[in-house]
Amino acid sequence: MIEVRDLRVRYGGRVVADVPELDVAPGECVAIVGESGSGKSTTLMALLGLTEGAEVSGRVRVAGVDVLTASPARLRAIRGARVALVMQSPQAALSPTTRLGTLMRRALKLHGVGDAERVMAEAVEAVLLDPAILRRYPHEVSGGQAQRFAIALAIALGAEAILADEPTSALDVTVQAEVVAVLRELCAARGLALLLVSHDLALVSTIAHRVLVMRDGEVVESGPAARVLAEPSHPYTRELLEALP
Amino acid sequence: MSAMPRVARLPRVTDRFALAGAVLITLIALAAVLAPWLAPHPPGEVDPLNALSPPDGEHWFGTDAAGRDVFSRVLHGGQTSLLIAVAVLAVSATAGVLLGVVAGYAGGWVRDVIMRITDVFLAFPALLLSVALAVVLEPSVTTVIVAIAVTWWPWYARLSAATAASIATRPYVDAARCLGVPAIMIILRHVLPNSLTPVLVQLSLDAGGVILTAAALSYLGLGAQDPTAEWGLMVEQGQTLFTTNWWVVTFPGLAILLTAFAFNVLGEGLRDALDPRRIVK
Amino acid sequence: MSLLRAERVTLGYGRTPVVHDVTLDIVEGGVGLIGESGSGKTTLARAFLGLLTPMSGNIWYGNQNLKKADMRRFRGDVQPVFQAEALDPRMRAGASVAEALPRHARHRVPELLEQVGLDPALADRRPHQLSGGQRQRVVIARALAVNPRLLILDEPTSALDVTVQAKILDLLAGLPAGRLLITHNLAVVGRLCRTSHVLFAGRVVESGPTADLLDRPAHPYTLALRDAVPRLGGEPPAARGRAEARPARTGCPFRLRCPMAVAECESAPALRDLDGRRRVACHRAEEVLREPSGRR
Repeated sequence: MIEVRDLRVRYGGRVVADVPELDVAPGECVAIVGESGSGKSTTLMALLGLTEGAEVSGRVRVAGVDVLTASPARLRAIRGARVALVMQSPQAALSPTTRLGTLMRRALKLHGVGDAERVMAEAVEAVLLDPAILRRYPHEVSGGQAQRFAIALAIALGAEAILADEPTSALDVTVQAEVVAVLRELCAARGLALLLVSHDLALVSTIAHRVLVMRDGEVVESGPAARVLAEPSHPYTRELLEALP
Repeated sequence: MSAMPRVARLPRVTDRFALAGAVLITLIALAAVLAPWLAPHPPGEVDPLNALSPPDGEHWFGTDAAGRDVFSRVLHGGQTSLLIAVAVLAVSATAGVLLGVVAGYAGGWVRDVIMRITDVFLAFPALLLSVALAVVLEPSVTTVIVAIAVTWWPWYARLSAATAASIATRPYVDAARCLGVPAIMIILRHVLPNSLTPVLVQLSLDAGGVILTAAALSYLGLGAQDPTAEWGLMVEQGQTLFTTNWWVVTFPGLAILLTAFAFNVLGEGLRDALDPRRIVK
Repeated sequence: MSLLRAERVTLGYGRTPVVHDVTLDIVEGGVGLIGESGSGKTTLARAFLGLLTPMSGNIWYGNQNLKKADMRRFRGDVQPVFQAEALDPRMRAGASVAEALPRHARHRVPELLEQVGLDPALADRRPHQLSGGQRQRVVIARALAVNPRLLILDEPTSALDVTVQAKILDLLAGLPAGRLLITHNLAVVGRLCRTSHVLFAGRVVESGPTADLLDRPAHPYTLALRDAVPRLGGEPPAARGRAEARPARTGCPFRLRCPMAVAECESAPALRDLDGRRRVACHRAEEVLREPSGRR
């Protein structure tokens, strides 16, 4: 689903992300772990062609589209419909005067998804939301509900990959656990490719199959999650592990 | 989470805006201050034989009905108009901000009392109140200043009360309270400086408005009186001549426009330039 | 006697209480106040700092009622460490620390910065020119300037990167002052506090030694909190879609989220003594204790 080779993102000559290799297969969850300034979010944005003002080189294929050479129209067509982005605070991205149901209906129409009502009901159920949420406005729902709604929207649109940038770091732990569980189950059940960006190694270990550890724009270690966490080969990964409370 | 370095480069454009506004205002102010030396004629020099002559090499902006040199009067008029603007803003902003910050920080009944007073002032249409005041007082430049300042301060009080109320809930204000810093010091040291940005921006946006209001009062015959050169008064005197002798009204009008525009540009620029994250040590 | 004690305190803004009838002693060895957003933990912290007067009940400062206490002495004894925006954005770090010192003691700023592991040269920086960890050290240096006996720590590390967080926790653990730690992070409490209280919807639902609370929770909410903390290589608990149900208005406030709720829970459980060390507000605490113990 996602295939990255020699991705390099520069701002004004400074390399902020350098990722030699990153693949996410359907049904797989890959996590990029790092602290602030590590380049993990920049990498994710580069996959969607959202790094304005940056020089991006390398090869990035997402859902069969070569992101770095694709036309803006082609990129817009895959964003949302085939690849969904889940951000830290989705409420900020939702129009405050539009009910969630209306919003989802419009998105489905825009991307030509038929049988909207059934698709919506099913998607909302898949993320364990009460269907009543579709009648609410964005400010009337909690952080975790908004996050699950964002995931439901991705499913309804038939997304094959979800890119999630710190999707739970603004949430309470009990809510975080719920959102992560939903993501994990969907990934397995629907064969979604999930790319998760997070600062929390422990959280990542509960969901990711493979892990990339980034620091200062570089990938310092990557491999199967179990291996990286059990036998970290880079001192920085060890430091991250030891810092876990 | 991750740093987006491009943000750091963005503000340059707005800096240029602020700078352009500031330069323009400086030029206008200089022209006004140096009017006695720059102006080719004394502003009150009457020359009935040359009345209403169109712009030429001698009178760049032409002459008015009394044959006075419009260019010289526009330069001198800047003194009066800018003085009014600065005085009105200084008086109303000082009063408004002090009351507003106290109201916003104190909250409770203190806030209620101060805000009700500002509401009373805001309830009257500003121009009407100015006119009423100007009628009661003798028409003069001082009258214009008082009349406008009285209607202008409540806006600053309101604005800074809202900002101060939000600043008052910030953790750093709570932290200062926990250190036992006296309320007056908290207001002066933390609340006031952090509430000032919106006011400064508003001030520069309002400067144009004050000049226009002052012009309106003079225009109604309630402000500066002939022979004082003042832009609004000059527009008033020239308006009936617009179709036949366009220069009499156009040049002072352009001066008002240009000054108001310069202050607005400065205000827009300041809005971004004063962001505390951008203050470099 | 403990330095600070809340006695049957009800707190709120306007007329709506957000903390109900809480009794809590800040004892030696660090006290944790665990709760999620909306639990009332920050409101309680503000009351302990004398920034909010209780609607009913009292805060005791030694044997004085805080309402009538000598506030000068109190301010020298109790200091906060807030999370974000704890520094005036326009003030240089040194000036922020100096504000805590009397005029004749301002020369101590470099020494205080060093005490928290900062280069004194950073005194000239403004908050936005410092990293998150450096900012938090400045905040701690300022709190230490008055030699407080008690620090009230409100999520002191939650905005920081994990490696930085670990260092700040080390710093806090080594300080001589007592502490009340307010957090949603159970692991942090374990490091800094011997005693803990779990707050749900403005009520204490369980209190006791932190180790007991984490090893064998007696309240279903404590259990849910503990199990929700991601552990290396662990699995997330199955989602039930109820983590965000509103607190019930009558009966046990947790019952709408509780996997063990029964009819009995429609009457509010009182906070009762469990084994001499622990207090819990749950009708079925004994059964909760029998849940698979220890960490998975």
